[in-house]
Amino acid sequence: MNKIFNKILRCSVVLNKSQNVYRMGPVAIKNNFHTTSAKCDLMEFFDTKKNWSESNIRVGRAWKLDELRIKSNSDLHKLWYVLLKERNMLFTMEQECNAKVRLFPNPERIDKVQESMENIEKVVRERNIAYYKLETGETGERPVEDVVNLIGLQEKYEKKEYAIPRFLNSRWVKPYLENGYTNSYAIKKFLRLYKEKQYNEKRKARNRDYNHVQQLLKRFPDMDMELLKAEYPNVDIEKAKRTKKARGNYMPKY
Amino acid sequence: MRIFGYLSKKVGDLTVKYSNLPESYIKRSYEQVYWKNPTGYPQYAKAQIARKRYRFTTNRPWTGQFQQQNERNTHRKKVFLEPIAEWSFFKGDRVEIMVGRDKGKQGIVSQVIQERNWVIVEGLNTHLRVMGKTKTFPGVTIQSEAPLLVTNQVKLVDPESLKPTEIEWRYTEEGQKVRVSKASSRIIPIPKSAEETMDFKSKALYIENTEKDTAADEVTKITFAPKLRTFEMDIMEEQGIKEDRVPAKSYWY
Repeated sequence: MNKIFNKILRCSVVLNKSQNVYRMGPVAIKNNFHTTSAKCDLMEFFDTKKNWSESNIRVGRAWKLDELRIKSNSDLHKLWYVLLKERNMLFTMEQECNAKVRLFPNPERIDKVQESMENIEKVVRERNIAYYKLETGETGERPVEDVVNLIGLQEKYEKKEYAIPRFLNSRWVKPYLENGYTNSYAIKKFLRLYKEKQYNEKRKARNRDYNHVQQLLKRFPDMDMELLKAEYPNVDIEKAKRTKKARGNYMPKY
Repeated sequence: MRIFGYLSKKVGDLTVKYSNLPESYIKRSYEQVYWKNPTGYPQYAKAQIARKRYRFTTNRPWTGQFQQQNERNTHRKKVFLEPIAEWSFFKGDRVEIMVGRDKGKQGIVSQVIQERNWVIVEGLNTHLRVMGKTKTFPGVTIQSEAPLLVTNQVKLVDPESLKPTEIEWRYTEEGQKVRVSKASSRIIPIPKSAEETMDFKSKALYIENTEKDTAADEVTKITFAPKLRTFEMDIMEEQGIKEDRVPAKSYWY
């Protein structure tokens, strides 16, 4: 496994071999063990010199979850640092390209690395949850509670860790409502206006859909009505068909 | 303001597949976000000011031409799209054109633009376009294909009779989903060129970047062995890190 990760960790291995082979000891070569400290200067933040003038650096896709699930913990650990270094390198190169007014080749590489790193985190989390569930019956994740916050909205409250229990902690102020209810005039007013805003958004969406369906009916009278119904379930299509807008007196261009 | 999911038209699956780019990259390359509230602060609501409607054309969303066509303050008429149950036109398909000058002619689909229900048929439904005309130079005339709607302007060709036909998606006995011609009940296979992307003609023909890519056989190697340990415990044991300290009791609230 090391070997392949070394391949991705290109700068340290590839460059070192050409510059000073002796720095990688014989033991290291035998074990195929890779340490990044072999070349610990700031140039590790940059791509290899060969790639500086490239306009297209094509790479494969990101690691998928199922590919990571079959890898051991130590492999994931190593891969994480390979990706971290790659990401640092890409961010540095992007910054440098912007500074020098050059085109940064294949910026999607950043997204690929990011996606792989997210997937590694997911897999590690999965494994830890499995362990804790088996051993303690809990997930071992940070506890989260459904609360009503101080302005009266539903919120997920992520609990924090304290050294002393709650009844001793006189400085702790509850950041949510005790029973999910308050008599405060200000909050009630806020919620009233907030509900009105939400209702208006819904109403506008409904009207927009209704108008959109009418226009669709005008343009495509032979359209599959089942599909239309499935796409706009809240629209009364029979009603929309009867409207003036849906009839139309000419064939529009679009 | 809330972020309206239904206002932002998503890029088609086939476009994403063809681009061979991560979806997040496509999204960030075509989206125009003018303002975004900082995240992670309680005082800021999740809000952004961004362009809501994009005009999708034959220019792909990640290109500079797309950005040019969707420049800030350019607003174009809304495009109405007929809903389609299941997309059944792929690159390399033989289709017959049902409208226009080339009505009745058959050709091969060279591009699929799902955002507009369009296909482009190679060498058909063309118009002349004068490129690079100046006062002293008359310009070069080229033929360019206009897109065709998949709903009523093109039809797939039946492999037996070579006539245009309606199709139906069905399952074979092996459980494979196939297109079946309604005229002759023959399977219309999805062409090889459908899996073509910007980077390679087919997955098998992709040339690995030896410096950056992990080899395929290394990826499929199984190194995971289930152990009754957390990730951290496993790594600590492997690295020889010993931790005997017992954490003090803590309280979560």
